[in-house]
Amino acid sequence: MSNLKKKSWDDTLTIALPKGRILKEALTLFRAADVDFSEILQDDRKLIFENIAEGLRFMVIRSQDVPTYVEYGAADLGIAGKDVLMEQGKDLYEPLDLGIGVCRMMVAEPKELGELDNPKHWTHIRVATKYPNITLKHFLNKGIQVEIIKLYGSIELAPLLGLSERIVDLVQTGETLRKNGLVEVEHVMNITSKLVCNRASLKTKPKRVKDLVDRLSKAVAQAKEPTQG
Amino acid sequence: MINSPTISLPQGVRDILPEESKKIGKVESGILAIFEKYGFKKVITPLLEYVEVLSLGMGENLKDRVLKFIDPSTGRVVAIRPDITPQIARVVATRMRDYPLPLKLCYNENVLRYQEPRDGKSREVLQIGAEYISAKASPEADAEMIIMGIEALRSMGLKNFKIDIGDVGFLRSILEKLPVSEQEKDLIKEAIAIKDTSGLEEILNNSTKQVDKADRGLLLNLTTFYGEEEVIKKAATFTKDKATQGNLDYLQNVVNIITEKGLKDSVTIDLGEVRGFDYYTGIIFEGFASGIGKPILGGGRYDTLLERYGYPCAATGFAFDVENIVAALDRNY
Repeated sequence: MSNLKKKSWDDTLTIALPKGRILKEALTLFRAADVDFSEILQDDRKLIFENIAEGLRFMVIRSQDVPTYVEYGAADLGIAGKDVLMEQGKDLYEPLDLGIGVCRMMVAEPKELGELDNPKHWTHIRVATKYPNITLKHFLNKGIQVEIIKLYGSIELAPLLGLSERIVDLVQTGETLRKNGLVEVEHVMNITSKLVCNRASLKTKPKRVKDLVDRLSKAVAQAKEPTQG
Repeated sequence: MINSPTISLPQGVRDILPEESKKIGKVESGILAIFEKYGFKKVITPLLEYVEVLSLGMGENLKDRVLKFIDPSTGRVVAIRPDITPQIARVVATRMRDYPLPLKLCYNENVLRYQEPRDGKSREVLQIGAEYISAKASPEADAEMIIMGIEALRSMGLKNFKIDIGDVGFLRSILEKLPVSEQEKDLIKEAIAIKDTSGLEEILNNSTKQVDKADRGLLLNLTTFYGEEEVIKKAATFTKDKATQGNLDYLQNVVNIITEKGLKDSVTIDLGEVRGFDYYTGIIFEGFASGIGKPILGGGRYDTLLERYGYPCAATGFAFDVENIVAALDRNY
């Protein structure tokens, strides 16, 4: 800890990255922005990596912890999915949509139920989800009473075992839903990963933050081009 | 838990023991000395107020965070103050009308904020602040408040901090002439508040009435207008509107006065800052210390506040968050 602290406060930016799928996509983006941290992928027990030349420090943590680290200023910047950000509602800047980790949050239910069901007629439903806050807000805004069953994983199991009729979860290709006999019935929101920034960091290190945001936003624009052309 | 419930504390309040109390005392006396140097006189306001009286002078974000209860003797709803500024406004408007303007007042009090919006915790906050009440708004008054803040923080030995200056009047002038609905304006404000350029773009693309090209360019760039004072000039190139230009000139004047005092290095500008939009009317500012995620001071101009208490005059003010300053000093920067 002591040697981490020694660097001047102005010189180092600490960036919190989420473990898992998004990490590789983020790596590609950062590389396009001339920031390399590929050694992160080589040793998955090491949690902090420094790029001394660039004055950057990376740490890899659970995706749900990223907003917390950034909110308290333990990291200046971070990468977090819109799902995590909306669920936690932390006070952060979101200066850049990275266009990675693209998926959608959906309400899904068993195929048989879906054939007869009309979401417009819902008044009181039971939903299993990892995202109780987003789910509550989504249904309350529509005037629907919702009983939320908070689960930590394998949400698709809930309707199969009668825990709830419906689920709210992330859908990327829809394959997992299909395999479990579920269909999408309502769109909650589109999800991508965002670059987030601590308020005090943006104010006290504006040049460094702006420089990194600019470089990354160019990399994001480049990454978009071939698919749009 | 070892403590029996009868001798525990309610959530959000705490004791301050001698070691910490000493540090807090040092910070307090440092700030009060600077206030005195600039001619601010201390007032002491009561712990309780009628809710409806306090509400006249509170921003929307505070209104939900007031601890209220019914006074058994009168049946009226009273509240523990969540902020001192509405109290100062009331005192000035009801008791101090015969004092000559400008009126410079300061305070050193505890406030109670029930249910922080993000983490749901209540918190007792030690607030030391100053209010500058004058017949008309002037860049000199705004600059004096910021300069006092910088001087006080420096006198305590805090080195690595910035006072970030914005202007909600600027965004208000832009929003006022947009052809979009109030609801869309709120969405625009929310996107700007978190510097979400792509979200803002989406809102503007889907708005009921089209926003003209110049305004669109200005709004989309607003999320990047932070950092050095050059952003003021950059913003000026995006607008020909008189009111908007006026806001930028005023802000530039404030920065010039601070620069003349040789304190330029301690300030940054953020034209996209919209904190307290419904409450402030012009220049706003917040202090940040390195490594402390929360602001160490905050304030701004609220020229409509005293009017709500029946005394139309201009005012600017700010308060230090003493505990966050102690935390910043403890980090030894």
